Amino acid sequence: MTIEALTGQALSGISVGMVLFLIAAGLSIIFGTLKVLNLAHGTIYMVGGFLCYILTSKLAHIPGIFWWALLFAPIAVALIGGVIEVLLLRRIYAQEMLYQYILTFALILIGGDTCRFFFGVGYQTVAVPWPVNGNIALWGLSFPTYNLFLIGCGIVVFLGLSALMRYTSLGSIVRAVTHNRETANALGINVPRVYTGVFMLGSYLAGLAGTLMPPMSVVALGSDMAVIIECFIIVVIGGLGSLPGAFLGAIILGLLNAFGIYIIPKLALAFPFMLMIVILIIRPWGLLGKPE
Amino acid sequence: MILVSLVLLIVPFVFSRSMVSLINEMLIMALAGCALNLMLGYGGMVSFGPAGLYAVGAYATAILLTKYGAPFFVAVLAAPVVAAIVGAIVGWFCVRRSAVYFALLTLAFAQIIWTIIFEWYDFTNGDNGIVSIPIPEVLYVGSNIYYFSLAIVAVCIFVLWRIVNSPFGATLQAIRENPMRTEFIAVPVRRYQLAAFVISSFFLGIAGSLFCVFAGSVFPDYAHWVKSTDMLVVCLLGGIYNFAGPIVGSAVYILISKVISKNTTYWMFFLGIIIVFLVLYMRNGMVGFAAEKISRLRNRLDAGKGEDES
Repeated sequence: MTIEALTGQALSGISVGMVLFLIAAGLSIIFGTLKVLNLAHGTIYMVGGFLCYILTSKLAHIPGIFWWALLFAPIAVALIGGVIEVLLLRRIYAQEMLYQYILTFALILIGGDTCRFFFGVGYQTVAVPWPVNGNIALWGLSFPTYNLFLIGCGIVVFLGLSALMRYTSLGSIVRAVTHNRETANALGINVPRVYTGVFMLGSYLAGLAGTLMPPMSVVALGSDMAVIIECFIIVVIGGLGSLPGAFLGAIILGLLNAFGIYIIPKLALAFPFMLMIVILIIRPWGLLGKPE
Repeated sequence: MILVSLVLLIVPFVFSRSMVSLINEMLIMALAGCALNLMLGYGGMVSFGPAGLYAVGAYATAILLTKYGAPFFVAVLAAPVVAAIVGAIVGWFCVRRSAVYFALLTLAFAQIIWTIIFEWYDFTNGDNGIVSIPIPEVLYVGSNIYYFSLAIVAVCIFVLWRIVNSPFGATLQAIRENPMRTEFIAVPVRRYQLAAFVISSFFLGIAGSLFCVFAGSVFPDYAHWVKSTDMLVVCLLGGIYNFAGPIVGSAVYILISKVISKNTTYWMFFLGIIIVFLVLYMRNGMVGFAAEKISRLRNRLDAGKGEDES
C-alpha cells in the first residue's frame, strides 16, 4: 500500500473513531457514575442523527443550518435523555443488572420504532456543510476536510471533558458521586440530580455524535445496533468509566476497522470482538481503567 | 402438570394447523428458555450469548443434513453435542469473569459466532442462510412434526427439572446467592458455573435443532445478540425464579408478538412498552406474580382459620 493510501485509511478510520469516541465517552461516563450499562445509548445517537436530518432538510433555506443543528439537536437529545432518566431509570438503580439491561433494551425497541414511524425505513443523507467541505492538502496528500474536522472535534471534546472533570467544582461533584455514592450523599450532594445531569451529559455527547456523523455517512435505522456494539468494544478496551480509555479505545477500534480488511478480510468483522475477549480475560478493567 | 400434558397431546385434534404450528414454536422457545434459565435464574449468570449456542445447534443439524447428507437422527443428535462442545470452549473463557464482564464476554463470543456463520460462506452459506433442508417426509404427514417436537421438548424439560432439583441444582443456587460463601465451603464455583454453561448449551442446541427441523431453514440471525434478548425476555416474562417461568413466558411472548405484529407494523414499540411495564412492576414475571398472590391468599385463609380456632 502506498503512503497516501495508508494515511488516508488511517485518517478515515480515526475520524470515524472520534465520532464513536463521543458516544463511547457518554456510555463510559454513564456507566462509571450511574453503574448502568445503557444499551439504548446507540438509539439516542440515532435520534440525534434523525434530528440533524430533519433540521437540515426542513430548514435548508437558512444558511449554515447544519451549525444551528449542531447547536440545538444535542441539547434536545439531552432533554430526552433527562426525561428517560427521571421517569424510567431512576426506578431500577437498586435492581440487578439484568433488569437494567432489559429495560434499556426495551428503550431500543421503543426508540427504534418511533424513529421508523417518523422517518420511514429508507436512509437519508446530509450534505457536508460549508466551510468544512472539500479537501485539504497536507504534506502533499489530499484529505477530506470533514474528516479532519471530526478529529478536531473529538480532541476538543476530550480535552474539554477532561478539564471539566478535573478542574471544575461540577467535575469534583461528579467524581465524588462516582467514587462513593453514599459518602457523597452524606456530604449533602443531591445524588439523584447528579445522576440525571450525568445521564443528560452522556446523551448530549451521543446527540452531538449523531449530528456530526451524517455528513460522512447516512442516517438510517439500524445504526443504533451497529454503533452500540462498537461502543461496548471501545469501553471494554479502554476501561469502563475511563475517559482517556474511551479516547484510546476509539482510536484503536478506528484503526482496527480501517486496516482489518487488509489483514484477513474474512475475519475482519470478528477482530474487534476478539480484542474485546482478550482484554476481558487478561485485563477486564481495560487498558486505562482501574481494577475494582 | 399432567393436565397440561394431556391438553398438549390433544392439541392437533382441536386446533387449526396454524395454531398447532404456533404451539410448536412455543414449545421450542420454552425449551430454549428453560435451558437459559438454568444459567440465569438458578445460576445467576446473565448471558447475552444463548442465541449463539442455539444457532450452533440449528446450523449443526442443517449442515449435516445438507452438506453431508447425514441420516436424520444423526443430524439431530449431533446438534446438542456440538453445541455443548462450543459451550464448553466459550464457557471456559466466560466463567473466569463475573457480572458485567461475564455478560460482555458472552456478548463478544455470540457476535463472533454470528460473524463466523455470516462470513464462512463455503460452509454456512453466509447471509443467505440454508434453505430447503431435507427433512424426512414422514414428519410432514399430519401433525407428526408437532409430536416430534413435543416428545423431545417434554423429555428435555423433565431432565432439566431433575437437574434443577438435584444437589447440583441446589449448589448452583447457593452460588447464585453468594459465590464467595459457597467458595468458602469448598465448592469449586467456576467448575459448577462451567457445568451449568455446558448443560445450558446442550439443551439450547437441541432447541436450535428442533427449530431447524420445524422451519426447514436456518439463518445467521439465529445467533445475533438481539435473539438472545428475546430469550432473556421470555425468561423474565414468565419469571426467572420459577421453573415453569420460561414455559409460561414463551407461550405469552410468542402469542403477544404474533398478535401485535398482525395488528400493527410497529410491534417492537408495543413489545418495548410491555417489557418496560414488566421490569417496573412485575419483576418476578407472571409465574412469580401468580405465586405471590396465591401465597398471600393462603396466608390470609390460614390466618382466618387460626383466629377461629383460638
